[in-house]
Amino acid sequence: MRKMEQYDDYITARRLELPVPGGSSTITLRVNEVEHQHAAPATETLAQYLRNRPGLTGLKTGCGEGECGACTVLIDDQPVNSCLVLAFQVEGRRITTIEGLESADGTLSALQQAFIDHGAVQCGYCIPGMVIASEGLLRRNPTPDDTEIRRALAGNICRCTGFLNIIKAVKSVASANARAVPE
Amino acid sequence: MTGLVQSATPGNLAEIGALVDGFSGNISYIAGGTDLVIALEQGPRPDLIIDISRMRALNFIDADVDAVHIGAATPLSILAEHRALAAKLPVLTQAAEQVGSVQIRNRATIGGNIASAVPGGDLLPVLKCLDCRIEVLRRDKTTITRAFDEVVTGSGETSLGNGDMITRITIPLRFGANRISAFGKIGRRRELAIARLNLALLADYDSTANRINDVRIVAGAIGPVPLRLRSVERQLRGRAVDQALADDFLQALTAAVDTAIPGRISQAYKRHAVMGLGLDLLQNLFAREFTPAGWSKAQA
Repeated sequence: MRKMEQYDDYITARRLELPVPGGSSTITLRVNEVEHQHAAPATETLAQYLRNRPGLTGLKTGCGEGECGACTVLIDDQPVNSCLVLAFQVEGRRITTIEGLESADGTLSALQQAFIDHGAVQCGYCIPGMVIASEGLLRRNPTPDDTEIRRALAGNICRCTGFLNIIKAVKSVASANARAVPE
Repeated sequence: MTGLVQSATPGNLAEIGALVDGFSGNISYIAGGTDLVIALEQGPRPDLIIDISRMRALNFIDADVDAVHIGAATPLSILAEHRALAAKLPVLTQAAEQVGSVQIRNRATIGGNIASAVPGGDLLPVLKCLDCRIEVLRRDKTTITRAFDEVVTGSGETSLGNGDMITRITIPLRFGANRISAFGKIGRRRELAIARLNLALLADYDSTANRINDVRIVAGAIGPVPLRLRSVERQLRGRAVDQALADDFLQALTAAVDTAIPGRISQAYKRHAVMGLGLDLLQNLFAREFTPAGWSKAQA
């Protein structure tokens, strides 16, 4: 297996290769409570910016047209397809990616752990988008029912078709939330 | 021009005026970007992209006695969840909540739906059905107000000029307490599918007399622009709501599809599918069951 450092080297190399055409302006984004400043063209999407400039490669670019949901991030707690947002449009807003869910010591969030516990991860490509879309739902509605979970994840496609365990994972967090806060 | 794309994030309409004044290149306004960003990847690029997604002056839902006013950059998720709007114009909130996914609805806007003029756009038949007025801020800083048909002129085509921006949509509240409305859609699956066919209906219905006094019906995704189904309207106007009306309604819908897309490959599917859609609409509007005439359980 490749070590994480090798991936970091790879990402750094990719970052240096990126063309920064004249006329690019500096785009400042606040991601997971950290500020990033990079020169980027006006037409650069949020997905391209996040993956290639600060190297936040958790989000995936699947279809590039808002059908698959693999690039989902939160903007001010709301799930959006980062492939359909231009980076300059979200300057000054609060962006959350999958990298922002674990705590500082690397402990996974309850939602991330639930995905593991329920065997919700197969090939894994859709999972960052699935987790972030679920996180967006749970921040809005900590105790969603099955229908609400299914509707919230309708914009996320799992090519392995592992939807049932994904829904079970989210449901388990919703149930835990319901127990924690009795109505 | 140099081929470089510039961006701008004006804070208000006056700043937009200053930006476009004297700018000689092509201008694109971006709000949700759910259509525009894909177009940027594929097609010719503008010289200037102006972000209006955060402009408060374009993000509102207001109502007075005889009309609802909606800011062009109001996201569909806000429309879909607006209870007062749902009480007045369920056809609009039902359409908004069936567009795309949560992610799309959080970005896509009502003004963008009009400006993109995609034939499958879910809000288009609704806005035509409701006889909306579209307010446009022109590049020369004048404001004009146009009917839906004057703005949406073809598949992906509008009468908007370079630098023109949709600012507000005004929907008249017709028929007082008798107003009922509903939206129905068929896609390849329930969520996230572009419409194969959709229907918007607005009626003046006297519930005491059980009589449809007046009705407007518009179909979408069946041609380059939404299509008003006047022949179907004639079947409903002045009639009592009963099974006989349902039978005639469904038959008229099929006939309207046959007229709209004769010989098209999708005709065979859509002429049947429209009956199911019609049944859904009736049940949605009148909260009771209707049986499709001549259908056995097996066919249904």
